[in-house]
Amino acid sequence: MSTPGSPVLTPASSSLPSAEAMARRRRRRYLADGAARWMVRAGGGGVVVALTLIFVYLFSEVLPMLRGADVEPVAGYSVAPRFDGEVAGMMLERYDELGMRYSRSGTLSYFSLASGEVLQRVELDVPDGTEVTTVAMAEPRARRVAYGLSDGTALVVDHEIRLDFEGEQRRVLPDPQFPLGEDPLVIDPQGRPLVALAVQKAGEDTGIAAQTDDGRLLLVRFRTRTSFLTGETEVSRQAWTLPELEGRLDLLELTANLWTLIGADRSGRLLYFDISDPASAVLRDEARAVEGGEQLTALRMLNGTFSWIIGTSEGRLSQWFLVRDENQDAGDNVFRLTRVRDFEQHPGAITRIQPEYTRKGFAAVDDSGALGLHYGTSARTMFLESISDAPLVSVGISPVDDKLVVESADGRLSVHDVRNNHPEASLKALWGKVWYEGRGGPDYVWQASSGADSFEPKFSLVPLTIGTIKAALFAMLFATPLAIAGAIYTAYFMAPRLRGYVKPTIEVMEALPTVILGFLAGLWLAPFIENHIPAVFTVLIGLPAAFLGMAWAFSRLPRAIRLRIPPGWEAVILIPVIALVVWGLVQLSPLIEIWFFDGSMRQWFTDIGITYDQRNALVVGIAMGFAVIPTIFSIAEDAVFTVPRHLTQGSLALGATPWQTVTRVVLLTASPGIFSAVMIGFGRAVGETMIVLMATGNSPVVNFNIFEGMRTLSANIAVELPETAVGSTHYRILFLAGLVLFALTFLVNTIAELVRQRLRARYSSL
Amino acid sequence: METSASNEPRGSDAGSVSSGLFDENRQTLDIKREKVCIEVRDLDLYYGNDQALKNVNLKIAHNRVTAFIGPSGCGKSTLLRCFNRMNDLIDICRIEGEILIDGKNIHDRDVDVAEHRRRVGMVFQKPNPFPKSIFENVAYGLRLQGVNDKRRLAEVVERSLRAAALWDEVKDRLDDNAFGLSGGQQQRLVIARAVAIEPEVILLDEPCSALDPISTAKVEELIQELKNDYTIVIVTHNMQQAARVSDFTAYMYMGELIEFDDTARLFTNPRRKATEDYITGRYG
Repeated sequence: MSTPGSPVLTPASSSLPSAEAMARRRRRRYLADGAARWMVRAGGGGVVVALTLIFVYLFSEVLPMLRGADVEPVAGYSVAPRFDGEVAGMMLERYDELGMRYSRSGTLSYFSLASGEVLQRVELDVPDGTEVTTVAMAEPRARRVAYGLSDGTALVVDHEIRLDFEGEQRRVLPDPQFPLGEDPLVIDPQGRPLVALAVQKAGEDTGIAAQTDDGRLLLVRFRTRTSFLTGETEVSRQAWTLPELEGRLDLLELTANLWTLIGADRSGRLLYFDISDPASAVLRDEARAVEGGEQLTALRMLNGTFSWIIGTSEGRLSQWFLVRDENQDAGDNVFRLTRVRDFEQHPGAITRIQPEYTRKGFAAVDDSGALGLHYGTSARTMFLESISDAPLVSVGISPVDDKLVVESADGRLSVHDVRNNHPEASLKALWGKVWYEGRGGPDYVWQASSGADSFEPKFSLVPLTIGTIKAALFAMLFATPLAIAGAIYTAYFMAPRLRGYVKPTIEVMEALPTVILGFLAGLWLAPFIENHIPAVFTVLIGLPAAFLGMAWAFSRLPRAIRLRIPPGWEAVILIPVIALVVWGLVQLSPLIEIWFFDGSMRQWFTDIGITYDQRNALVVGIAMGFAVIPTIFSIAEDAVFTVPRHLTQGSLALGATPWQTVTRVVLLTASPGIFSAVMIGFGRAVGETMIVLMATGNSPVVNFNIFEGMRTLSANIAVELPETAVGSTHYRILFLAGLVLFALTFLVNTIAELVRQRLRARYSSL
Repeated sequence: METSASNEPRGSDAGSVSSGLFDENRQTLDIKREKVCIEVRDLDLYYGNDQALKNVNLKIAHNRVTAFIGPSGCGKSTLLRCFNRMNDLIDICRIEGEILIDGKNIHDRDVDVAEHRRRVGMVFQKPNPFPKSIFENVAYGLRLQGVNDKRRLAEVVERSLRAAALWDEVKDRLDDNAFGLSGGQQQRLVIARAVAIEPEVILLDEPCSALDPISTAKVEELIQELKNDYTIVIVTHNMQQAARVSDFTAYMYMGELIEFDDTARLFTNPRRKATEDYITGRYG
C-alpha cells in the first residue's frame, strides 16, 4: 500500500475496507507487533536472567569455602585463684559448656566456659613423696590423659561428661573416670622417674610408652575386662622393654593401633620405632626435624594418629608421616619418616599444638602470643594472628570446632568463638596433587567420605573432570564419525524416500530415555563385551572391510542386476551384510580367544598388565555415543542437506565426481553446521548423567585407558549429593563440581558458537 | 566470424527487434555448411510421466553461439542440461533418443560422466562460486584432475581470469573469498572457472538473468570473445540478448523445437507464425 498523501489511482469500487477500518487494523497490527517484540525480548532476557541466577546460586553455595577462619573472644578470666598449678592441657566438650583444665601438679578442673566458675576439682591420687614428672594426652577423641610420676608409676584419667535433664533443661555435668583404677599403675618396675610419656587408647586397651630418667624405653599395655557376673573390672598388664637408645627423648607419641612409637628430643631428632610386635620392637628410622640452631618444641599426632605435626622454636610447623619405602632393597612394609608439608610460620616458638577432634586440622599457639589455625590436607592456614601480649601456653579446641580456650603466661584464660567451617578446600587441595596420609606420594584422589572419623577426605576435582572429559571423548570418538558419515550419506546420496524413513527414525532415537540406555549398557552390553572382547576389535576391522568388499562386489555385478537397485537405495543391501558380519564375528570371538589368547582375552589383558574393568570407557563410549548420535546426525544432516544445489551442481558441472563434490564443496559449505552439531553433541556428552552413572563403575581414576571406567562430575553429583550433610565442605564441593560442569559446558558452547560464526562468515553460501 | 555483435547498437525497446540490430553486411549462416559439434536426434525426455521434450532434432555448430529462446517451461533449460548430462541427477528423469557430441553418443556406456562434464562446461543462472578464495575457485576444476603444482595452477588461473575479463579487477585479491565479488564479477568468475578446464563446449543457462545491465554487457562481450575458442550454447529469456550474442537461435515451445535458424533470419524473417508472435511480444 502506498502511504497516505501520495498520489494513488483509486478504482471506482475498491475491494479494500474503509479507511477507518484499515486504520483500526493498522493500530491492532502495531499493537500485536509491539507485544510480540516485547515478549521475545522478555523471553530472551528471562533466559539470561535464569542462567545468571543459577550461576549466582551455585556460586553463593561455593563462596563460603573461600573464606578464612574467624576467631572472636567471648569470655576471659584470670587463672588464679580458680585453678592451681601450671597448665598441662585444656579440653572442651561437644556442648561447649564445660572446659577441662589439667594442671602439672595433678589436678583436673571442670569449669564453666561462660563464667570461669570451677564446677568440680579432681585431685589425682599422687602418692606422698612422689611428684608428677610428665603429662601425656591421647588423641582428643579418646578423652584420656596420663600423668607420669617420679616413682615409675602413672595415673590415667578420662575427662568424661554426662548429661542430666532437669525438666526441659539440659545440664552438662562433669563425670571424671578412672578406666584403669584410681591407683598409680606400675610402668617401670625398677621405680625410676618417668621423664617422657605417651598414652593412647586402642579399643579396650590402653598403651603407655615411657622413658625413664636412666634412658630405658618401656611399653606397657593395659587391658580392662569387666566380669559379667560381678561387674568388677579387672586390669591386666603386659610390659616390654624397647631397644636401648642413646640420649634422652623429650616427647613421645603412640599411634592408635599401638604399632608405632614416635619419639623426639629438643634438638630435633625424630625417631620411629616399629612396635607392631613389641617383643621384637626395632628402631626403623631416624630423621632431623628442624633446621640448624632450631629447637623442636612441640609434637602432636593429628586426628587418626596417622600423621603428626612438629613445632619449632622458630615458629615453624611441619606435617610428617610414615611413607612406605618403595626401594626394592628395603624389603616389604618398610616405612620412612617423611616431612610432607609445611605451614605458615608463627612469629614465636610453638608452645602447644592441639589437634581437632574429627578433622585433620590443629591449633597452634606460640610464645609471642599468636594463635594459628592450620589444616593438614589442604596445607591452609586459616587464621594466624596475635591474640595476646603475653606468650600463650596452652590451647584447647571444641570437638565441634567452634570454640577455643587459650591460656597465656600472664595467667589469663580466654574463650573464643571460632568459625572455621571449610578448611579442607583450597585451590591446591581441589586441583593440585595432594600428599594424603599413608600414600606413597602426592596424587589426585577423589574419596569424599568414609565411615570413620579419622578418615581424611580427598577432594580432588581432577579425577572427576578427567572422567567427564574421558567419557565425552570416547562417546564422541564413537559417535562423531558414524553420525557425520551417516548425515552426509543420508543428505547427499540417499534416495529421498529412504531418507524420509531414516531421518525421523534416528531422530526418534533421541527421545530414548538415557536411563534405559544406561541400564542396557551396564547390565547387558558391559558383560557382553567382556565375554566377546575379540569381537569388538574384529568388528572394528571387519565391518569396514565388509563394506568395501560389498561395494566392490556390487560394482562387479552385471548391470542388469545393479539397475534393479534404484540409486540411493544401495545402503539397504548393506543391512543384511552388517548383521551377518557382526553375528559371524561374535560367533568367532570365543574361537579367537582360544586360538590366540589362551581362552580368555580378559585374562590376557591382565597378564600383560592392562587393567580391564567390566564397566569401562568402551561401554560408555558406545552407550553414550548412541545417545549423542541423533543430536549430531540431525543437525549435521540438516547442514549438509541445505547446502545449495547450485553449488553441488556447479561442482559436478566442472567434472567433479559426487565424492569430490562432497569432500571439496559440500563439507566445506556445511562445515559451520557440522561443527556446531559436533559441539552440541559434545556438550550433551559432558552433561550426560544417567548413562555414565550406570555404565562407568564410577571409580574416580585419572587415566584414559579405554578398558577402565571413570567417574564424571555429573554422576558424582548424582551419587553423592543425596548423602552429604547440607552445608558441609563436601556439600559445597559438590556445588563447585556443578559450577565446573556449568562452566565446562558454557565454555564448550561459547567456543563452539564463536568458531561457528567465524566459519559461517567464511563459508556461508549465498 | 567476420562480424561481432558486440559492436552493434543494442536495442532497448521491449517486444520488438528492429532489423537495425543486425549488421546489414552480415553473412547469413547456414547450419548445413557448419561443422557440427552437438547433434540431437529424436530426443524425448520425461519427468516421471510428463514429457518435457518432444522429439527434438537439432544441430549445434562448432565455435558458434547458439541461443535457445522460448517462454518459461518450454524445455530450453532441460535441453541444455541434457548436453552435459546434468539431468542424470534427477531420479525421475528418463531420456530417449540420442545426443552426439563430435559424433559420439554421450549416453554410451563407456562415457565417463565426470569427464564428459569436464568437456562440456556449464554456467548457471545464479552465480555459484564456491565458498573458497577466488584463486581456489578457478583452480578447482584443475585440482579435481589432480593438478596441484602451484606454478601451473597460477598460470591457468591467470589465463582463465584474463579470458573471463576479470583478471584486472581481482589480480590483487586472489586470496579473498569469492563471495566478496559483485554478482557480475561472480558470474565471470564462474565462467573463468569453467574455462580453466579447457572444455569444448560451454553451456550458459540464463547467465545474465541475475545481473545488472552493466554486468550483463560485460558478460555478453565475454561471450563474443569466447566463441573463438569454444562452442557456446546459451539459454536466455532476453531476446535482445539472443539477437546480440548468438549466431543461431532455436525457438522452443512446450517441449518442442519450433524453429531453428540463423539468428538474424529467425528474428527478421521467422518462418513460423508462433515464432513471430513470440519475438514480437504478442506472446510470452
